[in-house]
Amino acid sequence: MPTAPEHRIRNLAVVGLLSGIIAFVAVVQLRSQAEVQASLAGQDNTALAFLIDDLHRAHDTLEGQAASLAHQAQSLKAGGNNAAMVALSAQQQQLQIVDGLVAVSGPGVVLNVTAPLTAVDLQDALNNLRLANAEAIMVDQRRVVAESVIEDSNGQVLVDGAVVGDPWTFTVIGDPTQLGTAAGLMARSLDSDPRVKSVSFRSNPNLTIGAVIRAHPFVYGRS
Amino acid sequence: MDLRRPGAYLLAIVALAFGFVVAVQWRSQLIAPGNRIEQNQALLQSVLGLERQNQQDRSQVASLRVQIGNLEADASTRSDQTNQLAATVNGLRAEAGATTLRGPGLTVTLDDGKKGPDLQGATAWVVTYQDVQDVVNLLFQGGAEGVAVNSRRITPLSGFQGTGGTVVIDQGPPLLAPFRISAVGDRDAMQSLLSQTSSLGDLRLRQRLYGVSLNVDLSTQITLPATDSSLEVRFAHSP
Repeated sequence: MPTAPEHRIRNLAVVGLLSGIIAFVAVVQLRSQAEVQASLAGQDNTALAFLIDDLHRAHDTLEGQAASLAHQAQSLKAGGNNAAMVALSAQQQQLQIVDGLVAVSGPGVVLNVTAPLTAVDLQDALNNLRLANAEAIMVDQRRVVAESVIEDSNGQVLVDGAVVGDPWTFTVIGDPTQLGTAAGLMARSLDSDPRVKSVSFRSNPNLTIGAVIRAHPFVYGRS
Repeated sequence: MDLRRPGAYLLAIVALAFGFVVAVQWRSQLIAPGNRIEQNQALLQSVLGLERQNQQDRSQVASLRVQIGNLEADASTRSDQTNQLAATVNGLRAEAGATTLRGPGLTVTLDDGKKGPDLQGATAWVVTYQDVQDVVNLLFQGGAEGVAVNSRRITPLSGFQGTGGTVVIDQGPPLLAPFRISAVGDRDAMQSLLSQTSSLGDLRLRQRLYGVSLNVDLSTQITLPATDSSLEVRFAHSP
């Protein structure tokens, strides 16, 4: 049984540790707030209005994700073995789609571009589509995720070592409204680019992306 | 003026309308700058409020993922089948960046240079989101198993954007230089690719011209946080 002085030392240590954690969290929070404020300095009203729109969309997406996770947690808590299997199977399907490991179907857009685009152009296009909540993307016949390696090589663009474009076909599955808006903006921007010979897009309620990413088991990392 | 003539009334109405329009225009010219500043402040407050709200949402998502992980670990003890499926799901989650990842790796630090003679545009000394994305891309090319930028984990759905020196990943909080890009994976392969003269040509040029800094630190143990961004799939399904 610990003596009174040992008790006091332990209590002091716990208080000290907690104070340290609180101070750390407060500093991190203040620093991130300061970063947000610093990044906003000098932004005009139009830029801020666009940012607000982005943040609203991010909020909707995060709320949707939180609701779905809360439902999943509830199923795992309440159910027995069968409920756990159902919840795990649903998770498996979702994550396989996110990781690009399985073929997928769903609504979305197909964007066609005839132009000698570069790796930077391709990255920009992919960024725009992902910010419009694209859930699966195929460029020509290559499935693309953020880990896909995109590079210029001898005047051609490679995705994971394979040549893609020109002409380019982006097949994208996700929220058809958001993707339609993003594709429209991209088409307008590309249309004013002198390198671009033609650009068009169409929405489609039932697209299929057959290309998949090969799984890379971790060799160095562990969870 | 003879007010009994109908044209006089018409002229008076037109003059009044004109005077009103001029007055409104003059007033709006006078108060516009103040209004713009007020509007800017109001929009700034909205942005800050939304950023705070989204930060709370992200914390909730992260905490629910931990809770689900624990519940799945409990469930996996119920049968071999559940245990096997839970292990598969955990592997997929790790690949998606939804779990903490630890292992050997390296950190690339990018920082702004000094504003100098303008050879490449006014912001060539500033590190941009494209520079950050180029480094992330190169690290994946070198076999990185996971990457984080200033503690924001990159997922298969990650998108980059930014203006000037601000980098926004997955519509998260804006990040500013210095950017610490950490990767877990084969250190030798990643370092070798980073040191090739053909890699990151634009950044290297700006390193010489403007003092943009690019430093690489190897480590035996890097810890990448799990993502707190959404990984929800609502429209895509297996055919």
